[in-house]
Amino acid sequence: MGLPPLVMDHVTKRFGAFTAVNDLSLEVPEGAIIGFLGPNGAGKSTSLRMALGVMQPDSGAVSLFGKPPEIATLKRVGFLPEERGLYKKMTTRATIEHFARLKGLSARDARARAIELLDMSGLGEFKATRISKLSKGMAQKVQILSTLAHRPDFLILDEPFSGLDPVNQQILEDLIRAEHDRGATILFSTHVMEHAERLCDRIVMMARGRKVFDGTLDNAFNALGQGARIAVSEGFDLAAALAPKGFEAQRAPDKGLGDAWRISLRPGTGAQDALRAAIEAGAPIVGFAPEEARLRDVFVSLVGEADAAALLEATPAGEAV
Amino acid sequence: MRNIYLIFRRDYLGYVKAWGFWLSLAAVPLFMLIGGAFAAFAAKSSPVRYYAVVESGSVYADAIDAEFARDDEDIGNQAREMAEGMELTDAQRDQLENSSVAPSRKFIRVPAPATAIDDLRPYLLGQQLVSGPLGDKPLFAVFIPSSDGASLEYWSDDVSVSALRWQAENAMRRLARQQALGEAGLDADFLETVDGGALKVPEHRIRTVANQTTTGSKVTMADKAPVYVSVGLAYFLWLMIFSIIQYLLMGTIEERSNKIFDTLLTSVKLEELLAGKLLAVFAVTSTMMVSWGLFALGTSLFATSQIPGGASLLSPFLSALANPAIIVPGLISFLLGYVMYGMIFMALGSLCDTIQEAQTLLSPMMILLMLPMFAIFIAFQDPGSPVIDIASWIPVFTPFLLILRMPHNPPMWEIIAQMLIMAVTAATILWLATKVYRAGAIHGAGIGDLGGVFKRLFSRKKG
Repeated sequence: MGLPPLVMDHVTKRFGAFTAVNDLSLEVPEGAIIGFLGPNGAGKSTSLRMALGVMQPDSGAVSLFGKPPEIATLKRVGFLPEERGLYKKMTTRATIEHFARLKGLSARDARARAIELLDMSGLGEFKATRISKLSKGMAQKVQILSTLAHRPDFLILDEPFSGLDPVNQQILEDLIRAEHDRGATILFSTHVMEHAERLCDRIVMMARGRKVFDGTLDNAFNALGQGARIAVSEGFDLAAALAPKGFEAQRAPDKGLGDAWRISLRPGTGAQDALRAAIEAGAPIVGFAPEEARLRDVFVSLVGEADAAALLEATPAGEAV
Repeated sequence: MRNIYLIFRRDYLGYVKAWGFWLSLAAVPLFMLIGGAFAAFAAKSSPVRYYAVVESGSVYADAIDAEFARDDEDIGNQAREMAEGMELTDAQRDQLENSSVAPSRKFIRVPAPATAIDDLRPYLLGQQLVSGPLGDKPLFAVFIPSSDGASLEYWSDDVSVSALRWQAENAMRRLARQQALGEAGLDADFLETVDGGALKVPEHRIRTVANQTTTGSKVTMADKAPVYVSVGLAYFLWLMIFSIIQYLLMGTIEERSNKIFDTLLTSVKLEELLAGKLLAVFAVTSTMMVSWGLFALGTSLFATSQIPGGASLLSPFLSALANPAIIVPGLISFLLGYVMYGMIFMALGSLCDTIQEAQTLLSPMMILLMLPMFAIFIAFQDPGSPVIDIASWIPVFTPFLLILRMPHNPPMWEIIAQMLIMAVTAATILWLATKVYRAGAIHGAGIGDLGGVFKRLFSRKKG
């Protein structure tokens, strides 16, 4: 194993009185796919910009492949920023070629690589098309290809799925897996937790500038524990009703029939036990579901209802959390 | 260097591939050609017009003829003066002088076809023609003395052409003087005789003894060319800076609105990015200016080739351009001035999100740029003015004024000191502009945040 592609050691960044990133420590080992999760404003992009040396931390240290971020080291990194941007009057081929050359490829290699990537991604017929003439999704594809053109050892993707339709999201997921299979280490931020669940072998969760979780998916689900969801008629206090029976209930943010509650299950108890206790307590039950643990629930349990609500609000309609 | 080249290449090609660039490139020569052709056509196509003077004798008519003859003589004199400043063979000198003494008259006097205005009306309105040396034509104008003899009335259908009337006014003024002199018992050409006897005031230039032996003291174009060249250089710098405002502002806004900085800054250093961009805009404007300059040189060479010995007209200017005492400080001032102004504009552009926002900045920038223009104007009129001396120490003016002062041999210590001031100012602006650019491009600071950017910058320094 070589040097870890990224190490952030107690990094803090403030903007005036606002602390965007607070004492973040993070290590990305070689060959990993790591999901960097959190709602908008959690400090993910600022952390990534510090990791790349675009921004300097107020305290703490960052190293890329064992060195402070500098242009020579960054040649091994491919970065897709959250705010997409390309030169609108350049053609797709010239765009990929330009960014590949900036990363060190010769003119001939850059051109050949641009053509190869465009053909491979189904944009071959748009080689000579200006970016301004492309759809938003196609332009985004071109930017992703520009990020991959120099075959980087380490890919940092800031919200790569944002703005893509489901088909292109799937294509991007495949692309990320292919890059990983090629040997690239991948760190990507997202607030869409399904992508992280499908792609990552490790996740880092951020909330309000702080790291709230860093571990494998198994760790995350174990941390959550088992649970069940019971919906009751509005106004009924299920927590009070179940407390004497030894179950802990919390209001869940689910929208639906009645009030939703999440019941934490102690070791040795099952969802049916919780349902039985609720019936015995005279709860006006309108819905019941054994809980299938999702990253969102892990996140809710780690950061609380307020941040979880922010996460829900920030997620565009149609995107599962 | 590779990164600077790549940024430069992309930006340069981005600009020159745009239609606007080629339109701008073609517009100046095109307008010069059209303007020149139009002026030449207007001069050539201007019709020869007939006029008449109604009088019993020929006093007024002779006076007007004499006025035209005097104009012809003046043109000949100017040609002779010009020939004196040129290195010509005797044959070329004769050819040049003779080519200028036969101007074609645009007004020809013909005998009046009638004496009363009512009878002249159909001729003046073109209903009837009069005969003259160029065939039958309408009568353009007629002069008729008023019944009381107090005025010489000018009648014409076309009151927009005043040249003939002005000639007549001058002629009448001169005639009145001659009559007054005659009544006083003096010769009619008394004033001309007096003027001719006045002491001449020939211009000489004091030179070192060594130079005196080779070039004499006579003032030639070689003495004036360095001033013209330095004015040209200063104006060229001004024009270049004026032209780059939009390129730098708009180019930076495009990148800021395209959110492209993060991608770029993970591939190149900020300093490389700025250097590449500044060079690209410099190259774009240079391409335009050099193209225009080559066009102007080509047309000048063509024009001078049409004049006998005309090549010698250009040689003093080319010598001045090749003079290291002018061109070296000129080029240094030029480059430092470009960096100073260019970085200011680029930094301000990085703080703008929209073209509208940038447009609000254009007015103060134009005003900032008009100040050096005024200084150039004053320096051209009076390079020794104390105002220019003082202004040349103010860094925003120094690049222009040092160039203008060079032909007047300012003390060497002043040249060095002013260059140092420019270099220090350029370095300071470069440093500050880089910080502002970083704040705008990376942190998204706007124009309103500029005060805060400087405050943080200096408080951090103090801290």
